[in-house]
Amino acid sequence: MKYILMMNTMKAGHGVPQWNQKDLQAHIAFMIGLNKELRQSGEFVSAEGLSFPDQAKLVRAGKDGAPITDGVFPESKEFLAGYWIVDVDSPERAYTIAAKASAAPGPGGVPLNMPIEVRPIMSGPPPEML
Amino acid sequence: MKYILLMSGTKAGVARYHAWAPKDIEANMGRLRAMAKKLTDSGEFLGTQGLADPGEAKVVRGEKNGVPVTDGIFPESKEFLLGYWIVDVATPERALAIAAMISTMPGPGGVPTNMPIEVRAFAF
Repeated sequence: MKYILMMNTMKAGHGVPQWNQKDLQAHIAFMIGLNKELRQSGEFVSAEGLSFPDQAKLVRAGKDGAPITDGVFPESKEFLAGYWIVDVDSPERAYTIAAKASAAPGPGGVPLNMPIEVRPIMSGPPPEML
Repeated sequence: MKYILLMSGTKAGVARYHAWAPKDIEANMGRLRAMAKKLTDSGEFLGTQGLADPGEAKVVRGEKNGVPVTDGIFPESKEFLLGYWIVDVATPERALAIAAMISTMPGPGGVPTNMPIEVRAFAF
């Protein structure tokens, strides 16, 4: 069963970009290690980091179908910072991987214990929708 | 350049979607399938997924000993990811145009939903 693990912790103007080089390197090394571990266990489907929220755009279609873009988001909005897609045998295993990601090191090497949102992925649309 | 196009909504919004007439849901899914095909033909399609109902979402933190602590309680206002598309496009403008196409997907009675689609570039 496939799950997506989402890091939703990034707020505009905060977080990782303000860290010093050493902390950033330790954080990235941890993430590379986690991905390697998941590849070895055969559970890795994909993982990506997203660019910072200042580059995010919100798009709607205008009447003629042309995109109307907006870069203004509510202050409270949590931006997706990155995600993992894993293929695991049980929901509990997805939670264990999420807990590992949660403990990624932050400034001074202290575990961030950031919340990771865990969601099952639908393998396809429900039959009644096809 | 790779972009992820994120479609999000609240639990209340998902409940409204489940109340759509089967015909409207079919028209909506049909449009999304056609779009995935078009993007596959243009070589820009990398993937799309729908996520399971927000009722199944959990938020997880690691305890000191690495044991996962799970919680399923979210604020009413929380926007849950409903689904996403990953595209590989020549320009940012093309990513915005594809997001606008998704935004025009039909809702009840065939009226375009004009849903907001968040467009984010991959970092690497």
